[in-house]
Amino acid sequence: MITLEGVSKSFQQKIAVHDVSFSLEKGKILGLLGPNGAGKTTIIRMMNRIFVPDKGSIFFNGELLNQKHLRHIGYLPEERGLYKTMTVWEHIKLIGQLRGLSKEDITSNYKFWEEKFDISSWKSKRIEELSKGMAQKVQFICTIIHQPDVLILDEPFSGFDPVNIELIQNEIKAMKDKGKTILLSSHNMKSVEELCDKVVLINQSKKVLEGNVYDLRSQKGEDIYAIRFRGNMIAFVNALWIGFELVGKEELSSDTTVAYVKMRNESTFEDLLRTLLGQVEIEAAWKVLTSMQEIFIQEVAKK
Amino acid sequence: MRNTWIIIQRELKERLRTSSFWGLAVFGPVVLMLLVFLLFHFGESQKPKWKILVTDPAMILENRIMLTDSEQFEFDFLNNYLELDDFLKGKRYQAYDGMLEINEKVLSNKIAYFFYKEKPPLKIQTKLHYLLEKRLEEVYVAELTDLSLGKYREIKQPVNLAFRNVFDPKEQKSDLTSWVGWIFGAMILFFIFVFGMTILRSITIEKSNRIVEVLLATVRPRQLMLGKIIGIGMTAIIQLAIWIFLIAIGMYIFRESFFQTAGEQALSGSLSADSGMKNIFGYNSWLEYNQFVELVFERINFSVMLTWFGLFLVLGYLFYGTFFASLGAMMGTESDGQQYVVLIISILFFALLSGYITIIYPESSLIKWLAYIPFTSPVVCMVKISQGYSVNEIYQLFLSITILILSIAGGLFFAGNRYKKGILRFGHRLHLKDFFGK
Repeated sequence: MITLEGVSKSFQQKIAVHDVSFSLEKGKILGLLGPNGAGKTTIIRMMNRIFVPDKGSIFFNGELLNQKHLRHIGYLPEERGLYKTMTVWEHIKLIGQLRGLSKEDITSNYKFWEEKFDISSWKSKRIEELSKGMAQKVQFICTIIHQPDVLILDEPFSGFDPVNIELIQNEIKAMKDKGKTILLSSHNMKSVEELCDKVVLINQSKKVLEGNVYDLRSQKGEDIYAIRFRGNMIAFVNALWIGFELVGKEELSSDTTVAYVKMRNESTFEDLLRTLLGQVEIEAAWKVLTSMQEIFIQEVAKK
Repeated sequence: MRNTWIIIQRELKERLRTSSFWGLAVFGPVVLMLLVFLLFHFGESQKPKWKILVTDPAMILENRIMLTDSEQFEFDFLNNYLELDDFLKGKRYQAYDGMLEINEKVLSNKIAYFFYKEKPPLKIQTKLHYLLEKRLEEVYVAELTDLSLGKYREIKQPVNLAFRNVFDPKEQKSDLTSWVGWIFGAMILFFIFVFGMTILRSITIEKSNRIVEVLLATVRPRQLMLGKIIGIGMTAIIQLAIWIFLIAIGMYIFRESFFQTAGEQALSGSLSADSGMKNIFGYNSWLEYNQFVELVFERINFSVMLTWFGLFLVLGYLFYGTFFASLGAMMGTESDGQQYVVLIISILFFALLSGYITIIYPESSLIKWLAYIPFTSPVVCMVKISQGYSVNEIYQLFLSITILILSIAGGLFFAGNRYKKGILRFGHRLHLKDFFGK
């Protein structure tokens, strides 16, 4: 849907983005990760034509990105801004008009979101009367009021309480299900793990990692499996042979435990299960994936 | 263009719904007219009649000053000296507002004193001065010459060396009308400054609350800047239209009531412009007062002046507006860049000064250049329009307008680049090189 090819951008002497390429695929969620000042926001601004790349190109559906494509993009910037003296409705109408919607379309789209977010009483409230969370919701509606094909969300969860984070996450998932393409830039790694299909990690203005979230999480880090079982912990430990190492445990109740086992030598998950069968009552077993948080820290620490 | 229009509408609505806009639009001219009214109203004497005791021991005035009764003065004569203390404390003198002391040598030393209890307004001083002068002339002519009064006054008149332009012998391009042009020019600068600062503030607010990033995702920086300048400019025009309308109503009311009386007095002859009296202290003030009334109601061609005023206001505002917009975009914080605002104010002040120089040296080559320079042309051209362009010079006016329009286009291009460069920079210190750097 959107493709960046060798994109670079400098501001005076400072290189903000250097030779970055990646692709945002239709119907997928891409996580754009990176520490503060890595160049994420500059990339996002280039994707919205707020900045023009010094080098490289950005394509939208195969065409060089231009002004007309912006109507298909919804952008929620990290630094949220609203006109404080305008009412909620006036603000949404303004953004809708700028995105090329007719008044009728703005009205019907707003009605949909008004019901969804249960904000019908806010319509004629001035922005300055709203709480931060309420203002964030208005901002989110402004981003999607024109039903864009591509959503670019820069830190969409900041300022929201857990209930509203869940609400926004569900909306993002629903949009993905509708075939929308989404770029999510966030420091909330839990959300990235939960929502993103693919991630691109930017550090010091360069792309340092790109890949499918599951692949990255399973490839990076150590080969550890979790076993939830009923029975005696001593029996469990005794059953482990030299091919395995117990690296941690969690007691869920008096007779239920989750044990974390690291594979050694050439041992496999099947070997582990065979070893334990008959010794304890296995309830569940799964591979422990490396968290995105750990991957992030590992990659950033490398440089 | 559609997005520019949306931004224009937003800027316009944002300001039209504020109470401060309507406060300034409606109460501004009302207060202005009220001040003018109060100025002239309280400039009038509060006393319906001034009762004056004339001490004239030598009976020089022969117990009379005027042949006819005056509505403003009542004179009583005392053919003795009277000490000031007696005048102040004597019961029989309590009813008098002042004492006019005519000494025996008044015809030669030309000195008389008027002792007042409450200082008379300038208008009363002038009139009393005038009446005494006229009466002394009669006495002087009768006692010391063989001339008739008319002949004496003819001789007494000082030589009035009037400077006239050979192209304007009737003095249609008088200094007074030049000042009218200057005032129109000053009003242009006033509006440019007030609404230029509005542009600057509006941009810095948008920067500080970060709405600008949302807007820039749909609107090009140049469109956003243009929309803002035009939107705020339209607010200025609406405000100005309300001002003109209300001031026109106020002036009509003044003309039909207050100034009509003043005008009649000026023409009635009691204080008619006698050139022999021009040097008498205070007379010029009264004359200027009447000249003001005549100027405002008779000599200003409002339809012509307002048309050019509107044109130069729009062009001047667009030209300067681009600078205010780019400055606002380049500023790191709301308080940053004040020194550059001072620079713009200095340029505006220079433009005002250029208008003044145009009044004094209308034909100088410097003025011709200043009329072409877009920073000064709105004021200089307004003064020159009020002085009148000859057929041979009219091309200069259109050349000035053309240069101004081209400068606006150049300014929009330059400011658009600066705007684009600066609008998403936050928290930095603004340096001069930022304006010219890549």
